Amino acid sequence: MMSHDDAASLLAALSLHAVEPEEEARVEAHVRTCARCQLELDALRETAAALGTSVEALPDDLWSTIAARLDGPSVTPRGVLDARRASRGRLATVPRALALAAAAAIVVLAVGLVNANSKVSRLQGALALARQGVVAEALATPGHRVVNLTAGAARVAEFVLVPGGRGYLVASSMPALAADRTYQLWAIVNGSPISLGLLGPAPRSVAFTLAGTSATILAITVEPAGGSVRPTSSPVADGRIAA
Amino acid sequence: MGDDFDETSDAQLVTCVARGDEAALAEVYRRHGGAVFGLARRVTGSVAEAEDVTQEVFLRLWNKPEAFDPDRGALRSFLLTQSHARAVDAVRSRAARSRRERRDAGRTPRAGYDVAREAWDHVLAEEVRRALSALSDDERRAIELAYFEGRTYVEVASMLHEPEGTIKSRIRKGMSRMRGALSASGVQGLER
Repeated sequence: MMSHDDAASLLAALSLHAVEPEEEARVEAHVRTCARCQLELDALRETAAALGTSVEALPDDLWSTIAARLDGPSVTPRGVLDARRASRGRLATVPRALALAAAAAIVVLAVGLVNANSKVSRLQGALALARQGVVAEALATPGHRVVNLTAGAARVAEFVLVPGGRGYLVASSMPALAADRTYQLWAIVNGSPISLGLLGPAPRSVAFTLAGTSATILAITVEPAGGSVRPTSSPVADGRIAA
Repeated sequence: MGDDFDETSDAQLVTCVARGDEAALAEVYRRHGGAVFGLARRVTGSVAEAEDVTQEVFLRLWNKPEAFDPDRGALRSFLLTQSHARAVDAVRSRAARSRRERRDAGRTPRAGYDVAREAWDHVLAEEVRRALSALSDDERRAIELAYFEGRTYVEVASMLHEPEGTIKSRIRKGMSRMRGALSASGVQGLER
């Protein structure tokens, strides 16, 4: 397996499809196991795509050629179409092993641990932060710590904490909850859970503040939509914060 | 079908495609086909090959719509990434022949295209030009050879008589600078 640093140094070339096949396979193998590299690669591909955008006139008959090759519902009897639907299953919302942080709007939970204990934090509003920028910056900050939360043996969420107290949920594969439930993030400080804020029913990118504490563990519980002052259920995922 | 997809987001369109809605695929083609084709033509230098690539890209979206994950980027980036990969494959599979020989003139302009999208593409193209100009000549050259000529960084190194590590790092720095310039200009990715 290629080392993280070696793979990271090749992501830009990979986004241009400019890596020799054998090496490409090894970088891709690493990327599949590394949420950070995947996020970086996704961003680089956006850049490459921007570079490659030169819209050209389409040949007249191209669409009809494509349309003729579809297993076309427009000419397919109903029953077949239904079978096709059934076989498709759900689209695109299927989480990958570790689905990546998303959403151009990053919800900022402005909470300090100092006063977070007494009341459930509230969403302060959605800031249209460029997710890649914020996350990439966090990952580039010296002294940042990556905290993986696991459920059983599976990694289900990845957080990055930067010195100074900001923290970000950068990747999550937690399944979406019903609308009347929410994920809630807790820090365990001296054995007691302190709310860091609500992650919502389908967590994506979330920023929070973990200020001036000696938190040792991050944990996530499922709570009623408004959140809870204290956890009302066992954590669905947790992870130790490395010293 | 009479479906009016004007207000439909790209992600919603793909959901419709997944349900077997051909009109939705046609709308994706209308929005992004020109870009998919344009990139393939630029890389392959061939209208015929670009048509093949475009067909493959849209057929794959039809057959495997779940491969698009809206959380990971814009639909157009997703389509262009595939268009580029296939175009590069086409170029490499005929590496022995000269691309120049096969270059043919463009065809009659024609795209099912609307003004707002066209305007957006122009804005993007302008920002990309600006971003490219922020690169050093060496960085730009390495990226252009890799991306538009379908060369690997190892090949670029040998063409330019430079160490591989040098080219790798030029590509890396250049892409990082481009990305910074694009996000600073507010053209983040390819979302409309």
